[in-house]
Amino acid sequence: MVQISAHPTELPPLRLVAADLAARADFDLDTVADLRLAVDEAASELVAAATPDASLTCVFTLDDERMVVTASVPARDGARLRQDSFGWRVLTTLVDEVHVTGDSGADPPQLGISLCKRRSALHDDVVDSALTEGH
Amino acid sequence: MTPVEGRETRAVKEDSGYAQLAPLFAEMAELSPGDAAHAELRDRLVAAHLPLAHNIARRFAHRGEPQDDLEQVATVGLIHAVDRFEPGRGSDFLSFAIPTITGEVRRHFRDHAWAVRVPRRLKDLHVAIGAAISELSQRHGRAPTATELAEHLGLPREQVLEGLEAANAYRSSSLDGLLDASTTGIALEDIVGEADAELERVEFRTTLAPLLEQLDERERTILKLRFFAGMTQSQIAQHIGLSQMHVSRLLSRTLARLRNELRGEG
Repeated sequence: MVQISAHPTELPPLRLVAADLAARADFDLDTVADLRLAVDEAASELVAAATPDASLTCVFTLDDERMVVTASVPARDGARLRQDSFGWRVLTTLVDEVHVTGDSGADPPQLGISLCKRRSALHDDVVDSALTEGH
Repeated sequence: MTPVEGRETRAVKEDSGYAQLAPLFAEMAELSPGDAAHAELRDRLVAAHLPLAHNIARRFAHRGEPQDDLEQVATVGLIHAVDRFEPGRGSDFLSFAIPTITGEVRRHFRDHAWAVRVPRRLKDLHVAIGAAISELSQRHGRAPTATELAEHLGLPREQVLEGLEAANAYRSSSLDGLLDASTTGIALEDIVGEADAELERVEFRTTLAPLLEQLDERERTILKLRFFAGMTQSQIAQHIGLSQMHVSRLLSRTLARLRNELRGEG
């Protein structure tokens, strides 16, 4: 889990962590590059929706099949994530699954984006070699 | 138009020679930019102020950038200054031009500072990794993994990971230039045409279209190929003759720019 302040200038470490985790887990480099862009896009969307001085929390979950990144912020009143936007198009193109998460009943309400990127199915051999290496 | 001649000018040493050029700015401001006389005056003003630009470039000498480059950048700053100066505003050209030119040179240093400091070892590694990504992508029809790269290059995996990280840490135009090849000659028109058709169908096309127009052609093409034609970054790299890492950086930059402008902060 990584927590940063919800500000545009604080985002670089987040995409670095995402890309490094994926590269170390031997995702192919297109997948790694897409994840990096997706994390950047999702986090930027959330930063724009966050309350002033909020923190952005990002949880990275990695298994043999996929990486799931869930980022969330305490949201401003009425903030929502549009799904008819270019930003949403970017997210859905870059990752396999994307969901809006959150808890609108919380105080302040929580808003999040969950990204799921699968290893490309083409190379099970790579999964095997990564596993034998202990990753 | 306020007469500019005789207006009080800053006590800059070069001033005496330049002051007599002031009426030309007023004259140029009266003409429309498409006018041949306007272009002629503009050229004359730029040429006449070149010593000023070179003088400013010299103040930044010995900081690791070639003097020719600095003079060129300063000249670009001068041209901007000539184009943007409004003689009716009351200040004289030099008080406007000096900060404009200096700003241009400073910006050059800011943009290139990373490039200058990239260690040789990482540059070599970057070239090796970029070439290996391209070769393995073509061989397997998909981008390689870090392990595959390490095997191919005969390098420790950790070193490859470090190189990949550096590729993203250094926002460097010099790294980008190292690997760019000429294009493969494959016609992209059809694929771009498909992307355009897809773009016509999306709900946000009216907000996005004018922003796409502002991008340079290469950035626009890359964006369309990735998000509206479904090509992967390494496929795009092969088609347009850039390294995959360069495509990735350009996409990252373009998306950031579009985000800002779509939010009205750009």
